[in-house]
Amino acid sequence: MTKSYVGQRIKRNEDPRLLTGQALFVDDVQIPGMLHAAFLRSDYAHARLRGVDVTKALKREGVVAIYTARDMGDDWKPGPPLVSPPATVENVVFHSRTQVPLVKDKVRYAGEPIAVVVATSRYIAEDAVDDIVVDLEPLEVVVDLEKALATDSPRVHDDLDSNLAAHLSQEKGNYQAAREKADLVIKRRFYIDRGAAAAMENRGIVAQWDVKSQQLTVWDTTQAPIPIRNGLAARLGLSTHQVRVIAPFVGGGFGPKIMMFYPEEMLIPWLSIQLGRPIKWIEDRRENFFATTQERQQIHDAEMALAKDGKILGIRHSFIHDTGAYDPYGLTIPLNTQSHAMGAYDVPNYFSELKVVFTNRVIVTPVRGAGRPQGIFLVERLLDLAAKELGVDPVEIRKKNFIPANAFPYEHKIIDQAFAPLIFDSGNYLPAMEKAVSMIGYEQFVKEEQPRLRKEGRHVGIAVIPFIETTGVGPYEGARVTVETSGKVSVATGVGTQGQGHFTSFAQVVADQLGVDVRDVHLVTGDTAEFHWGTGTFASRGAVVAGNAVHAAAKAVRAKVLKLASKVLNTPEDELELKDGLVRVADIPQRSISLGELAVLANPLRGAVEPGTEPGLEATDYFGPRYGATAFAVHAMIIEVDPETMMVDIKRFVVVEDCGTMLNPLLVEGQIHGGVSMGIGHSFYEKLHYDENGQLLNASFADYLIPTSMEVPRVEIGHQETPSPLNPIGSKGAGEAGAIPVPALFAQAIENALADYDIEILETPLSPNRLFELVHGKEKE
Amino acid sequence: MRIEGEYIFNGPREDVWEIIRDPEVLTKALPGTQSLKQVSESIYEGELFVRVGPVVGSFSGRLEVSNEVHPESLTLTVEGEGKPGFAKGSGDVQFIDRGDGTTLLKYAGEVQIGGKIASVGQRLLDTVSKSMARQGLGAVDEALQARIKAKTGGEQVEYKPPSEVEFAAAVAKDMASEVFSSRWVWLVVALVAVIILAIVFITSFR
Repeated sequence: MTKSYVGQRIKRNEDPRLLTGQALFVDDVQIPGMLHAAFLRSDYAHARLRGVDVTKALKREGVVAIYTARDMGDDWKPGPPLVSPPATVENVVFHSRTQVPLVKDKVRYAGEPIAVVVATSRYIAEDAVDDIVVDLEPLEVVVDLEKALATDSPRVHDDLDSNLAAHLSQEKGNYQAAREKADLVIKRRFYIDRGAAAAMENRGIVAQWDVKSQQLTVWDTTQAPIPIRNGLAARLGLSTHQVRVIAPFVGGGFGPKIMMFYPEEMLIPWLSIQLGRPIKWIEDRRENFFATTQERQQIHDAEMALAKDGKILGIRHSFIHDTGAYDPYGLTIPLNTQSHAMGAYDVPNYFSELKVVFTNRVIVTPVRGAGRPQGIFLVERLLDLAAKELGVDPVEIRKKNFIPANAFPYEHKIIDQAFAPLIFDSGNYLPAMEKAVSMIGYEQFVKEEQPRLRKEGRHVGIAVIPFIETTGVGPYEGARVTVETSGKVSVATGVGTQGQGHFTSFAQVVADQLGVDVRDVHLVTGDTAEFHWGTGTFASRGAVVAGNAVHAAAKAVRAKVLKLASKVLNTPEDELELKDGLVRVADIPQRSISLGELAVLANPLRGAVEPGTEPGLEATDYFGPRYGATAFAVHAMIIEVDPETMMVDIKRFVVVEDCGTMLNPLLVEGQIHGGVSMGIGHSFYEKLHYDENGQLLNASFADYLIPTSMEVPRVEIGHQETPSPLNPIGSKGAGEAGAIPVPALFAQAIENALADYDIEILETPLSPNRLFELVHGKEKE
Repeated sequence: MRIEGEYIFNGPREDVWEIIRDPEVLTKALPGTQSLKQVSESIYEGELFVRVGPVVGSFSGRLEVSNEVHPESLTLTVEGEGKPGFAKGSGDVQFIDRGDGTTLLKYAGEVQIGGKIASVGQRLLDTVSKSMARQGLGAVDEALQARIKAKTGGEQVEYKPPSEVEFAAAVAKDMASEVFSSRWVWLVVALVAVIILAIVFITSFR
């Protein structure tokens, strides 16, 4: 091997197909005789279902069938809990209530499906939805997180004593004792509100039950095709070999597409079997606001105890986390919040109490960041307030508190989202921080530029936020690598792909091992017929877990190639090299054989092979990390605020990312760009406005504003590589990173820019309007 | 959503009261009303067509009049649902004799709105509802004028309620006036004017 592909800025293998419209998305699937489904969804957020009359709707020409919960008989079952706390974890209260395919007795959020219409076209199906008469008795709505916990609150789930879904406390050291010794205690209440993932492609499902082959094929925009296949087979009473789930190209996942067994995901395949017809359902944008999971609402009462030199002595917070109407995703998000509430800092004492509440709103599951932005917002805000109080520079107070490079692996002595000990595997925070500070020109800005611009009456501000991200969690992923007789290599892995560039990064790993051109490595992801062991794409784990599985399988194939070639070329293995699609003797390049020829020899048509020989040049292998790898990054930003409109103009945006060994810096940068723009949205534009009746008031892109190219700045990126010791490649995740610190970054930058107004930002997301209110309110006092 | 407002009728309180309680007049005057029938002394049922931005459709529902203190005040309770969503709420209406032959009608209430009309039409809801109220009351006032004329002059004056098209046009006008009251719009208009002038100026010298 002369040139290594890993670490190179290789352009994406998948882009020619994507850019020329030759990539299959779920809505591209067309099957003769295919029917179309549309859902009747509740307008009320909380209501007793008294009856559904479909008589008129059934008479509409083109309507094939209409199903309500009653029509499903014994097949009506709530969805499976996905990640409930194991029984071994002590002192955890957890009430599992999972989503239902169709409302049977009670509506629990506006948008919950009540009936499904199957018709010859989507137009007819939607018209028939309007023909259905539903009798709903509105009930008092649970929206406010604190009121939801009051004893006299109406209940989302009547069979529970209260709206408390979960309760858990964690302690490290002794916060109370630390607080007594503290020189300064900062205590505040923080509000974090909901945003949408707003993927470019909404959800969609096509299911085809083939009676004669007794095979069910499902095309699904899921991030987790294998668990979906397993679950569908179990639910439908089929063997897993009768179910094939394909997650083709997907236009963005961002978390909600990992929410397994959405009502539609269970119903469409079930309906296809009932009716013996292929059926398609594509979510429209309005439905996406009501039917696809959301995240982020929490209320924190938090405090930080510090010594007067700025050293953190401890953090304590109790918080309420909104899970919406059901809690299929267990405690993943609030546990992630706890794992990040100490940030990148050496915090000796920590106490955290979390309460999860049911409310009459759309179900909450991870959205890019998954509880991490809330934890980072909390700790970074507290540090900013402390720095101000102590008269310490915000950058210095952070440097003082970093976990030192020699302290890794750093054990936090609390449990993480997998209910396993939270350990930061590796890191080197200080140099990355210094790099970011120098890239943004912190000193120069603070000492020269800012005072100069302030004199001109301009409101410019700077912010620097370092943060950690726990990534690359288990359990495992697998991959199969095959050298074909053409000499090209095919790779299959179980994770789905939603734009991460797997077709390139994984190909680079394989190309390095087998000495082939990266363009000759063909990858299949997310098709259970091709590979059917694994979990999915989430928790910034694709490059770490699947990447290392691909690496392991490619190494195994390399071993097979060398063994066979050694025999054929009559040369010891260690004198052979794999290069340009050939195996050759290192010092006699003309003595070589192509990988394709070797593949033919490895799969003979006649003759005998030695006992124990496996045919072909193929291997399957798996990788499961002992625990997750922890990435680190620093974001820095310079903004200008227009004091009249409170519009924020981002002048510069710097990111220094350390996600361990990079497979492809170009892809890492792409992830950062995407993450940053999502973070900007969730910090300053995007907020789901629910009224007191659980009605979402901005369910369209006319009112729910996602940042456009006008709002997203050019991001200047610096890299640092601190390889993870937990996997052979040394990689850490980067998928969610970009979005995580941005709310904290905005808060710090805005406070800095509006220093003369002396405001405190204790909430996110903001907006020009909200900022105006905050400043205005202050002026009135 | 809080709804409140007031309207001055050009007529005595007793006549205003009477006309407000006349379902015949209400059916014609309330914009978008497709049907309204009195099912009991104080309960009406009917259908109302609404158009709020992209949300279009009919609400069917009921209207109940209660707490009647003739001719001073009453409470209206509405409940309706349909393709665009649902609305329910109640409000108090006061009739105040202004002592100059005119009557001040004040209304205030809380309406709960849900479904498509709330989630997609939110931005327009306030303007549209205000516009509908203003126009509805305006139409009632016209009917009142017709009736007063008939009473005093003995002549029969036909009252013609506004058509659907006229109504839609008036809503659009109200919405536009809201937009044009913003300073920014005028800034943009001024800027465009300057640019056009500049182009004319430059091209005329060619």
